[in-house]
Order: sequence, then C-alpha cells, then structure tokens
Amino acid sequence: MKSNRLIRKILLGAIVPVVILLVWHFASIGSVVVPSISSVVEVLAHPFSEPEGLDSTPLAFGAAVSILRVLCGFILAALSGVLIGLFIGRCKLAMETLSPVMSAAMAVSPIAWIPVTIIVFGLSSPATAIYGDRAWEHGLLDQLRFAIVAVIWMGAFFPIALNTAAGAAGVRAGHLETAKVLGATRRQILTKIVLPSAAPAILTGLRIGAGIAWRVIIAAEIFPGTRGGLGYMIATAHETASYEYAFAGIIVIAAIGLSLDGLLRMALVRVSRWQPRER
Amino acid sequence: MEPKRQVIRFENAGKCFSTPARPEVWAVRDFNLTCLEGELTCVLGPSGCGKTTLLRLAAGLEMPTMGKVCVNGSAVTNPPENIGVVSQEGDLLPWRRVLGNVALGLEIRGLDRQERTERAKKAINRVGLPSEVVQSFPHELSGGMRRRVALARAVCTNPRILLMDEPFSSLDELTRHRLQAELLQLWLSDRQTVLFVTHSLEEAVFLADRILVMTFGRTVAEFRLDLDRPRDRLGDEFIKVLLEVRRALTEHENAAADVS
Repeated sequence: MKSNRLIRKILLGAIVPVVILLVWHFASIGSVVVPSISSVVEVLAHPFSEPEGLDSTPLAFGAAVSILRVLCGFILAALSGVLIGLFIGRCKLAMETLSPVMSAAMAVSPIAWIPVTIIVFGLSSPATAIYGDRAWEHGLLDQLRFAIVAVIWMGAFFPIALNTAAGAAGVRAGHLETAKVLGATRRQILTKIVLPSAAPAILTGLRIGAGIAWRVIIAAEIFPGTRGGLGYMIATAHETASYEYAFAGIIVIAAIGLSLDGLLRMALVRVSRWQPRER
Repeated sequence: MEPKRQVIRFENAGKCFSTPARPEVWAVRDFNLTCLEGELTCVLGPSGCGKTTLLRLAAGLEMPTMGKVCVNGSAVTNPPENIGVVSQEGDLLPWRRVLGNVALGLEIRGLDRQERTERAKKAINRVGLPSEVVQSFPHELSGGMRRRVALARAVCTNPRILLMDEPFSSLDELTRHRLQAELLQLWLSDRQTVLFVTHSLEEAVFLADRILVMTFGRTVAEFRLDLDRPRDRLGDEFIKVLLEVRRALTEHENAAADVS
C-alpha cells in the first residue's frame, strides 16, 4: 500500500515537468531563441567550463558568487531581524512605534533600493576595504559588493523581523507566568519560553526572507554596474544571444531556491513538531 | 505543642482592576486569611468572585491595591521562592515533552540533566502517570493526564507551598475524584501548605482542613472540618457539612444579589 502511494506521488509529481520538457522540445525545433534541451544539458554537465562567446565566469562560479551574496545578506538579516523582532514583540512601545514603519518598508520592493545602495556603497566590497586598489586580485571577496548585500538585507530583514515580532508578542501569558513562579530570570524566560514559543513564527519569517533574498539577488545582479553571479550570467547570455546559458542559469536558480526552501521547511517542521497536526 | 507557623497571610488585602467600561472593579476586597504550615485551605466561591486573583496575589503575579500579602513572613513583591502553582489550564509548555515540562523548575535552578531527569521521573510516577508518557507532547495526552503533568511539575521542586487554581475543573467526575484522591495522598506524605481554589462544594469538603466561602471578593463564612480522611462522599457527616457550606454560600449569594 505504502509503495503504491509512493509510486502515485512520483507519477503525479512528474506530469508537469514532463509536459514542460515536451513543450520545450517542440518549441526549440527550428528556433533561434529557445535552445535545445541537449545544449542546456551540455552547459549544466560542464559547470566549470568557461562559457564560449560569453563575458562571464563558469556556471559553478556564478552560482557560488550568488549563493555567497545571498548567504551574507541573509545571515545579517536573520541576526538583526530576529533580535529587533524579539525586541519589538516584547516591548509594546517599540511595537507601536516601529511596526507601522516596518510594514510600510516591507511593501516597497527591495529592487527599488538598488540605485540607493549603489549610491551609498558604490563598488566597495570587503576586498576594497581590506586590499584597496588590489581588490580585483581577490575575486570572490571582491564580488561580495556591499551594495548587493545591502539589497539582500533589505529584502529579507522586514519579513524576518515582523514575523519574529508577531511570534514573540503572541507568547501566552500563562507560559511566562509558569516560568516566573518557578523562579526564572529574564534571560531564562527569553531562552526557555519566548524563543521556543516564537520559533515556528521565526522560521516562517526566515523562509519568506530566504525566498525574497534569492529572488532579489538575480534582479540585483542583472542591474547595470554589477558583475558576476547567475543574474549577471543570464543578462550577458541574453545580450549575446547565448540562450542555452540563460536557460541553464534559470534551472540552477530554481534548483538552489528549491533546496534552500526545502532546508528551511525541514527546520520549520522540526521546530513545529509540538503543534497538533490538522487532520 | 508548638504553635504552627503562619505561611500565607492576607491582611485586609484587596485588588482593584480598571476596564474601559468600569474604571474601578474590586476583584478582592478587605480580605483576611492566615494559612498555617501544613494546612490545606480551600477557598470556595462562584465564578468571578475573585478566587483566582487571590491566588495570583499570593503567587506574586499581582500586587495588592490595598492591604498586604505576606508569604513566609515577607511581603510579596515577586513570586516567592519554593512555591508550586497549578493553574486552571495547567499551562503546560506545548513545545516541551512531558519530561521537559516536569523538569522545567529544576532546569531553571540549574540542576544537571541526570539529576533533573531522575527527579522528574519520580514526580511523574508519584502523580500516577505511566512512565511511557514521558516522551509525549502535551497535546497527545488526555485532559486528566495533562492535569497530572501540571501537578507533577508543581511538586517536582519539593515546594513547601502549593497554590492551586481549580486544577481539576472541566474534567469528568471520575477523573476528578481520582485526581483529588491522588493530591490528598501527596499532601498527606509531604504536608505542604496548600491554598486550593475551587467552585466545587464537594471538592472543598473532600479536601480541606478549612473552607473559606467567598462572594464578590470578600469572605462571607469560614468552616473548620474535622472529618477523618479519606472522606466518604456518601457518609452522613460529609453530606451534613456539604449542606451547611452550601447553605452559607447560597444565603450570601442571594443577599449579595438583593443588594446589587
């Protein structure tokens, strides 16, 4: 019974990808815009090869640059978002003062901030800060442009902070009092009651934040003035009509986004084990 | 014989709340009570008469608007040390398993894992819970089991004072009787000072050394019970006391209703 259900699940899940592949295959026949499946597979199979006729780094290096940028921005957003969210959630005055501003800021697309962050940070990166004029010698570190990391932070920070605030504000008074009468200190109340109680909301915020960060990075890398990363590779591929690279880039973006979301979903399931499941 | 120590003392204590509709609502007013060491006192009254507020004052979760509340001779300004509290809902932490819930107080005191696991398991055993439930989450347990876990958590730190706010309400009669008998067993062996709040006449008469009848935030009658334990709920003496307490309760309720 169990194996039958598994087979059914796999078959149902495979329908849409098969249809997409079929449509793609027929669309690529005789087309100069839609590359053939085999040419895209060829690019994906050689992720470390220098792209032909394209002013871009290999696919794997582009993916690594994008991942690194997202991770830096996302980790900064997670740390600051959770800390500020906890503060807002546990302090009524902070909630009343900051919450409307943050909700408004969240409504603005992070992409809109790109020109601002470029003006503020220019082309500076950790490499320019450390090595100055010789920054270009430190490829990966130089790619970590502050302007791009700041945009990622802008995209991920608000959903993380607002979800954390909602989780921290929703802690039941009875749970806090239970810890108080058992003699808990403020720190123990935070670590043993507030954080675990708010954990599902925090993880939901992280998941939304990660999704936004990953979408924003591609847009930020397509923006003029940036170099490196999957977004840059797709934009360059478009300019030089090397569409197999653009398609390969899109597939890698989807795969990484799916993995990132899968990891956070697993973490969310783990911290939400205690919640009764809906039947 | 040495006189018993005063453990909990309310001196003309009162608590006033304000709501948008009513700026001054006295939940408890001019309340006087002294609980002696090892005594099981029940405060009996209808819903909304201020029983829970009374317990919260003793637990240091509310500060009195008038008068004074003392525990172990000191005025209560924070939750006093060495108390166990069981609330109406039990307030188990849903993200912790049974063992983690029971051991919370020990964890807060900084005991090592092995010692707190041993002590928590002992407490779980004492309240009549099967050992299989230690790894269950609260939502996987029945209402009666959850109340037992709350009781185990309260007694796990060996408190000398137990404050219990209708801990067995909303349970079926059979489970309630069983839990009352188990609480009595625990109390008979440890002899903590217990302040037990209930709206059930039968529960009060079954458990208490002393019953305080409360309506509209004030004590209106007090009964000392000298019945042997365990008490026979169908015995003549039990029923006699029950009727007396009921009479006092209904008389004062009616009088208060006439006044209002």
